[in-house]
Amino acid sequence: MSTYTALAKANYKAYTRDVTTMFFTFAFPLIFLVVFGLIFSGQRVTKGGLPYINYTAPGVLSWGVGNAALFGVAFTMMHWRRDDILRLIWRTPTPLSSVLVSRYAIALGVGLVQAVLFTAVALLPSFGLHLSGGWPTGLPVLLLGVTAFMAVGLVVGSLADTPEAVAAIANCVMIPMAFLSGAFYPITLMPHWLQDVSHVLPLRYFNDGLLNAFSGQGGWGDFGINCGGLVVFTVIFGAIATKTFRWSNGR
Amino acid sequence: MLIEDVHKAYGQVRAVDGVSLRVEQGEFFGILGPNGAGKTTLIEMVEGLREPDRGTIAVLGTTPWPRDVALLRRIGVQTQASAFFTRLTAVEHLRTVAELYGLGPDAADRSLAQAGLTEKAGTRVDKLSGGQRQRLAIATALIHRPELIFLDEPTAALDPEVRRTLWDMLRALRGEGRTIIHTTHHLDEAEALCDRVAIMAGGRIVALDSPGNLIRALDAPTRLSVPAGRLSVHKAEAVDGVARAYEEAGEVVMETREPGRALVAVGELTGLDQVRTRTATLEDAYLRLTGSEHTA
Ligand SMILES: Nc1ncnc2c1ncn2[C@@H]1O[C@H](COP(=O)(O)OP(=O)(O)O)[C@@H](O)[C@H]1O
Ligand SMILES: [Mg+2]
Repeated sequence: MSTYTALAKANYKAYTRDVTTMFFTFAFPLIFLVVFGLIFSGQRVTKGGLPYINYTAPGVLSWGVGNAALFGVAFTMMHWRRDDILRLIWRTPTPLSSVLVSRYAIALGVGLVQAVLFTAVALLPSFGLHLSGGWPTGLPVLLLGVTAFMAVGLVVGSLADTPEAVAAIANCVMIPMAFLSGAFYPITLMPHWLQDVSHVLPLRYFNDGLLNAFSGQGGWGDFGINCGGLVVFTVIFGAIATKTFRWSNGR
Repeated sequence: MLIEDVHKAYGQVRAVDGVSLRVEQGEFFGILGPNGAGKTTLIEMVEGLREPDRGTIAVLGTTPWPRDVALLRRIGVQTQASAFFTRLTAVEHLRTVAELYGLGPDAADRSLAQAGLTEKAGTRVDKLSGGQRQRLAIATALIHRPELIFLDEPTAALDPEVRRTLWDMLRALRGEGRTIIHTTHHLDEAEALCDRVAIMAGGRIVALDSPGNLIRALDAPTRLSVPAGRLSVHKAEAVDGVARAYEEAGEVVMETREPGRALVAVGELTGLDQVRTRTATLEDAYLRLTGSEHTA
């Protein structure tokens, strides 16, 4: 337990002292919110009659949170391995679970702050987000979304040995997914076969879960499917991550 | 620590190729060798970070591979590439490591003071100088008071003054009865500190003995030199006890196996005030054994 708090503190200090990264982690989704706000201002999606922001906000938020979890964890893993910090930890009686759980705590905290900040801005009259009473169902979705994307980040962080490789792999994963899973473009407006394809992407479930929470759509069945989808991705990528994890570079 | 016929290859490169050695408790043991000799690989196998392809290793009575947490508590390792927690200060880094060992902040402060870094406690690890980083790395390795300490080139890239301070620190550790295994490039360092040294080249141990015995085994002549103007090479060759004489860098150098007799004779010819003597050093032994014999 104390190895966990030690690493969580070290992680937290390293994170908050990197002001540039921190700033962009929180500003990035807001920038997209503004851009989409300008593009779609005043328009309504035909079905349901909700303002566009109710579709773009959960999309941008799920993508921004997933992106930060994936990148953040992948960078930490690559960096800690490259700079022999993992070796240093390996030499102490610290279990691997402490390394992962402490980083998980940071990822969850970041995701939560992102969500609160983003929702607060989206609720401003100029953006006009309409938040339904069912919004608390978004919290478990947020937690499971961060978990799933952290699992993907662990795999990316084990595959990549340089910051450039982390960025290249993570962008290849995150940017197409932004469009294919309905985060940046309403899923209902896409061709049917693409709608089917989107079910193999974790962002589809994350986005749907937040969309339903914000707008009070979908029932417990949909909630279960979205949470279950994220759990499945966590299990798959978690299993791959345990196979690919390395304490040090080199054979 | 007991190593028996250990092998490790990276693809085609035989990094460690049949090494056997035994280090006793309380010994200060040096491993010398040129870059790529396999020193780091050997240490990584002994601490349990790498699995040997062949052979057996026993450290404090147990096998280090796979990761043995009980053993790791008893050994301390300073690596060549110093690893510190990102964006922390020196003392924050050490306190984090202390907590990972289940120790309190006092262990970190003590280790920091031992390395002479108390004044740098609040400096970020990335802002420390090369020497300070190296001392912080040693402080990290010593924080849990290990019985067996591995130091992988702890004084590489340090200026001479800092190196001497570090020597004192290492001597003090040996004084406390800790076993130290130390790899280095600096032969004067091995000569000054180590009880025994192993000289490695190409993944094998080519010699293993005390520095004194290694030098004696060379059976190298003593060299006397005087400024060239004082004595001609011709006259020098005729001096009692001198085997060979030649001129080098403005000095006449005489090689002798009877340094006492030769010195007296030279003194009669030129006076002793300008005479320098040089006996073989570990460096001579090292250069001969690793096959880079430019000077002998
Ligand atoms: N992780 C690695 N992968 C492949 N080759 C390596 C690795 N580490 C070391 N080597 C090779 O093994 C040999 C021994 O290296 P090393 O143990 O680092 O020697 P030293 O510490 O004596 O300089 C060298 O030829 C080096 O290039
Ligand atoms: Mg080395």
